Amino acid sequence: MCRRRKYLLLHFSLQVRFTMNLDRSFYVPAKSILHSLNPLTKLTLVFALISFAFFSFPWMAPVLILPVFIMGFVGKVQKQYLNVFAKLILPAIGFMFIMQSLFLPGGETLVFKFSIFDIYTETIRTAFLTVSRIFVMISSFTLLLLTTHPSELMSDLTGRGLPGQFAYVIISTLQIIPQMQAKAQTIIAAQRSRGLDTQSTFRKRVGALVPLVGPLVFGSLVEVEERAIAIEARGFTSNRTKTSLYEIPDSSFDKALRWVLVLLVIISIVSRIWLS
Amino acid sequence: MAIVNLKNVTYKYPLTDTLVLDGINLQIEEGEFVAVVGPNGAGKSTLCYMLAGFVPHFYKGELTGTVEVAGVETQESSLNEWVMNVGLAFQNPFNQISGAKYTVFEEIAFGLENIGVPRKDMKERVERALEMTGILDLAERSPYSLSGGQQQRVALTSILVMEPKVLVLDEPTSQMDPIGTREVFGVIRTMAERGMTVVLAEHKMEWIAQFADRVIALHEGKILLDGKPGEVLTSELLDGKGFGISRYTSTAREAQEQSLWPNNKNLPVTLDEAVEGFTPNPSPSPLKGEGS
Repeated sequence: MCRRRKYLLLHFSLQVRFTMNLDRSFYVPAKSILHSLNPLTKLTLVFALISFAFFSFPWMAPVLILPVFIMGFVGKVQKQYLNVFAKLILPAIGFMFIMQSLFLPGGETLVFKFSIFDIYTETIRTAFLTVSRIFVMISSFTLLLLTTHPSELMSDLTGRGLPGQFAYVIISTLQIIPQMQAKAQTIIAAQRSRGLDTQSTFRKRVGALVPLVGPLVFGSLVEVEERAIAIEARGFTSNRTKTSLYEIPDSSFDKALRWVLVLLVIISIVSRIWLS
Repeated sequence: MAIVNLKNVTYKYPLTDTLVLDGINLQIEEGEFVAVVGPNGAGKSTLCYMLAGFVPHFYKGELTGTVEVAGVETQESSLNEWVMNVGLAFQNPFNQISGAKYTVFEEIAFGLENIGVPRKDMKERVERALEMTGILDLAERSPYSLSGGQQQRVALTSILVMEPKVLVLDEPTSQMDPIGTREVFGVIRTMAERGMTVVLAEHKMEWIAQFADRVIALHEGKILLDGKPGEVLTSELLDGKGFGISRYTSTAREAQEQSLWPNNKNLPVTLDEAVEGFTPNPSPSPLKGEGS
């Protein structure tokens, strides 16, 4: 196991393991208000929250922390959300908070001294603001991914005029990355069985990347050609207007909510500019 | 009126000087099941890509002569119109999965979405296609969680659902294990029984002999033989050119030299034919329909 870990480090793979399910999305099926909203409405909500946190009054971001947390429970995905929070969000923002508190310049009111560091009230305040903004951004995106199936999101957006190619690139990437990881593993195992050294000095490890990247990259290029033929054979670039297998409900409540959100975003930005 | 009509076709890939196809004349009637055999590099895949429109629309290169399918000339058509008439499935099942869909059902509907089939018809057509190829039970699975044989059947289904006039299969079982091969040929058998026009490039002679109405032997870009499977696949003209010969044919040929094979019988390609030939008093074969 330890050896395996060592060479896992060698290829710089993005291992998103914590909540990914078999069909390679973060989606958790459940019946909740969030699930029943139209994907575009949820996307609008996410961008509205981000806009409130970043472009409105500085007190907005900390105020939004609790509502975003509650949204996880409303969407009935609290378990998965807390999992992501504990494993990804908390370490990231925790680290950011400490670094910013220690190193941000421009503090005046000294709170305490800690070996060579001086901690000021102002820097802590700024760090807290940054961290809460990041929290709102990552959390709202996580909640979107947890409550919306990617194909639902994409077919809704293509139905509204997003180019099919764009949606294809997003979804196929999500699905193909794990496949490429598996292939990289096979190639590593094959090269190692032929005596490739992937565990000794740093130099040798870097050298070992060459016989790995070659087959992976060139193999993928061949695959891309074949896949292009395969989807072309199924009319991917057809000039006809595309249809969608699923009907994605877009209620009048959704439409109203979207307008309200857009309006709120405008009000929050304008009032910020007005009052400052 | 032949549905596929190739006249004096030659083709070179870009930046090469060798003719991959050299003076091909080929007419295929509607409903005919044509198998294409040949050693590696004989031009089988190129012929398949040509019938499916990817030569010259995708691979470019230099094409002379005329390629006509369903009355349309390839040079005067565009790829996205062409694929409405001709469906293509090829070797690697994994690369034929679009990667844009999460279930087999959605995967098969992908092509129909692209060509704008209304939602109601779409569901019906997908269900019908799934039933025809016998993979209704896989409908809700992720296409990536399937075995090679299952994936290849999904790939075939997603082409069939588009109801092409001609179906081109480029070695659909070359990466399959025996079980996968049997599954895929099960689907091909259904198509043959339904009277679809099929062009199948394949190495597995025993399977070809069971379905094909006609076999074309390609060698170095030229048509070497064109005729009934029993005649073409056992012909001595194929010797020493890298064509695979079925084990039944080679056994019987050996037997023929030692006068153990009846003189009035053609050489066999399949197990059934071999059993029939080697049985002293021919009686209905108990192995009929067993496959290979």
